[in-house]
Amino acid sequence: MSVRPEFMLAVFAMGIASFACRTGGFLLMRFVPITPRVEAALRAMPLAVMIGIVAPVAAKGQLAELTGIVAVAVVMKIAGNDFLAALTGVAVVAIVRSAGRLVI
Amino acid sequence: MTSDGRSEQRCESPSRICFSRAGILAGFAAGQALAAGVFTFGVAFGVLAAEAGLSSLEATLMSGVIYSGSAQLAVLQDWPGEPLILPAVVTILMMNARYLLYGAALRPWLAPLPPHQTYPALFFLGDGNWALSMKRYGANELDAGYVLGSGLPMYASWLVGTVLGHAAGSAIITLERFGLDFMLVAFSTALAIDFCKARADILPAVAALAVAILCNHVAPSGWTIVAAGLAGANVAFFLRRDTSNERQA
Repeated sequence: MSVRPEFMLAVFAMGIASFACRTGGFLLMRFVPITPRVEAALRAMPLAVMIGIVAPVAAKGQLAELTGIVAVAVVMKIAGNDFLAALTGVAVVAIVRSAGRLVI
Repeated sequence: MTSDGRSEQRCESPSRICFSRAGILAGFAAGQALAAGVFTFGVAFGVLAAEAGLSSLEATLMSGVIYSGSAQLAVLQDWPGEPLILPAVVTILMMNARYLLYGAALRPWLAPLPPHQTYPALFFLGDGNWALSMKRYGANELDAGYVLGSGLPMYASWLVGTVLGHAAGSAIITLERFGLDFMLVAFSTALAIDFCKARADILPAVAALAVAILCNHVAPSGWTIVAAGLAGANVAFFLRRDTSNERQA
């Protein structure tokens, strides 16, 4: 139960960044019109960032992770529930890994 | 101001923008359904934070100060090593860039209110209660207490979920065996599927993928996320027809 000083600094820097996003659009609306192009760019960011997280793991080409990613995508498409999809992916990775251990 | 001087209790007139306790309570009730989903996300974050070596207090502090699930998950990707502040801050800015739109859309509703009502409502804003609030605003709800009220149960369950998830995560020693180290990637995949809704999302996503794979070989992982985000945003910007400059020739 401790907090590292450099961690505190990082968290508060991130907290300020987060609050700046929450208030920024509200404040900027006075001066900057959000054009359709700016709007399109902002909307594209979350998906692009998620890809930035998944891609390096997928690029390693491990069977368990690749199967897990496919499983998450399938469950998400069918059920539309992100938590259920993520849990299924975790379960699939665990199963494929333990199967791998049995084979070896 | 009502005759008994209790202006905070209820909106004076239903045709004017206001901020009342009744509005907060109505929002709080409506936010309950959203809170359950946020709670499970909080548990997932708590487990991952424990896995990344954060103490319970650190994880709770992170959730309380930043309050952004997908952004915190993205930042955790860097945590096992040295915390890199600049990539972490840029990641937060990119993950939360959508809030610029949310805030912009709330401008007409919140602008007439004093800062001590506007800024708490914006601090506790989440994806779900923003959508809920905009729906209510479209249906002529003018009590902005609703925005704050619907955000509070989500924030509370995010914190409680983080604490409980961290406790559970610390108890699970063989994370890899149970595939829990895959939780972040699993969640990110699910959210990516969720975010990818229109045909216009595809090309920016392809660009993000290409840049992510390229960047993965040459830069630390925090910058892979940043590069992918900027690539997607840039492609989306230029794909969108610039209607602002269109003139009859």
